[in-house]
Amino acid sequence: MFLTRSEYDRGVNTFSPEGRLFQVEYAIEAIKLGSTAIGIQTSEGVVLAVEKRVTSPLIEAGSIEKIMEVDKHIACAMSGLIADSKTLIDRARVEAQNHWFTYNEKMNVESVTQAVSNLALQFGDDDPDPGAMSRPFGVALLFAGIDEKGPRLFHMDPSGTFLQYDGKAIGSGSEGAQQALQEAFHKSMTLKEACKTALTILKQVMEEKLNATNVEMCTVTPQNLFRMFTKDELEAIIKDI
Amino acid sequence: MAFSDMMSYNSMKQPLQDYQAPNQLHFNPYDFNGGTILAIAGEDYALIATDTRLSQGFSIHSHDNPKTYPLSSKTVLGCCGFHGDVLTLTKVISARLQIFEKDHNKQMPTSSVAAMLSTILYYRRFFPYYTHNLVAGLDDDGKGCVYSFDPVGSYEREVFRAKGSASSMLQPLLDNQIGGKNQQGYVAQPLPLERCVTLVKDVFTSAAERDIYTGDSVQISIITKDGIKNERFPLRRD
Repeated sequence: MFLTRSEYDRGVNTFSPEGRLFQVEYAIEAIKLGSTAIGIQTSEGVVLAVEKRVTSPLIEAGSIEKIMEVDKHIACAMSGLIADSKTLIDRARVEAQNHWFTYNEKMNVESVTQAVSNLALQFGDDDPDPGAMSRPFGVALLFAGIDEKGPRLFHMDPSGTFLQYDGKAIGSGSEGAQQALQEAFHKSMTLKEACKTALTILKQVMEEKLNATNVEMCTVTPQNLFRMFTKDELEAIIKDI
Repeated sequence: MAFSDMMSYNSMKQPLQDYQAPNQLHFNPYDFNGGTILAIAGEDYALIATDTRLSQGFSIHSHDNPKTYPLSSKTVLGCCGFHGDVLTLTKVISARLQIFEKDHNKQMPTSSVAAMLSTILYYRRFFPYYTHNLVAGLDDDGKGCVYSFDPVGSYEREVFRAKGSASSMLQPLLDNQIGGKNQQGYVAQPLPLERCVTLVKDVFTSAAERDIYTGDSVQISIITKDGIKNERFPLRRD
């Protein structure tokens, strides 16, 4: 990687002669340093599970937030530079509320992802419009939600590319986790199974020992919409793994 | 006025002859071009009717200008008042509809058309579109729905509503015939489409007798799950 560093690393929007945008590729690399996050889509709803790196016993684990509510029916998990995600989540929330205000309906998960992806692409080093960044965002997002098309899971990376997945892992443990997801996933998976699978896979790829304080999990279902798991609920599932 | 005259006794008797009231120039940006619209929601259909006259004062601009605008296969907008504003508003709405379709990969539902129209109207709160609006169509469950608006965006879902020039003649009649108002022992029952259509023809014929801004013909659009069907019925043309 570092051997290919060249003058095309200077401008964030300069193509190399091979047709690559190095800064965007580096931003995608930055995700691989982040903590692992997993999303699984089932017919009953979507589950998001993330690892929290509690690097010191003095850290208040509850202050690490890697799953956020975008709207009542959409959740978002993230990996990479978490501070960057604040801008993106902010946009997602504004777009969702604006859609509700104007059209009196819930915004589709795909539309929210599209809106955020538009912002992710608005980087550039000259004369930035207000709110835009001078570099690509160093964060990948998993959007989970319920809309008229049912449960939906989308993954978006720093290049603004977004795709729908049945199961997706991002972050440092993503390679192993994605492999494990591919083996574990089947179309008739229940949400309960998916929650357990997500935590089992997290446990496999995490460096620390998994417990109720160093993971976060949420579900989005047609009945309860966005719901975060409490510590007790997490412990109950972890016990069975 | 000559200097000698000014000094004379006569001119002293008219000290205020040079006085003029301040010149007030007034620009009225609105006009009224008449027209009546009427919408009724049935169980599995919605109906929206309009007369086809376009007038200004005592002159008729057109005998063939229906004031309903199909927005999609399940939504029709009725829009009358100042024709200039009608043209702009309908243009804005169709542009917004197309953008929505491209952004979200779906046709805008009738309830969302109504919500959007409300915001479009309210954004002009202090220089409003002089338009009376009705949105008729099918809701997400396939049931007929009618939304009525005031010119600055207040709106509600209703079963039947008349708007525009002859609305004050049509509405009380509909209140009685569909709403069962002022009837003893009235039992509400679903309104069949055939009865609805004859009722609309009757009320428009009556309104055309009294209101000079309603006439020529009435166009009735019937929205069902199979699409929109249009029907014309002649009214008096004078």
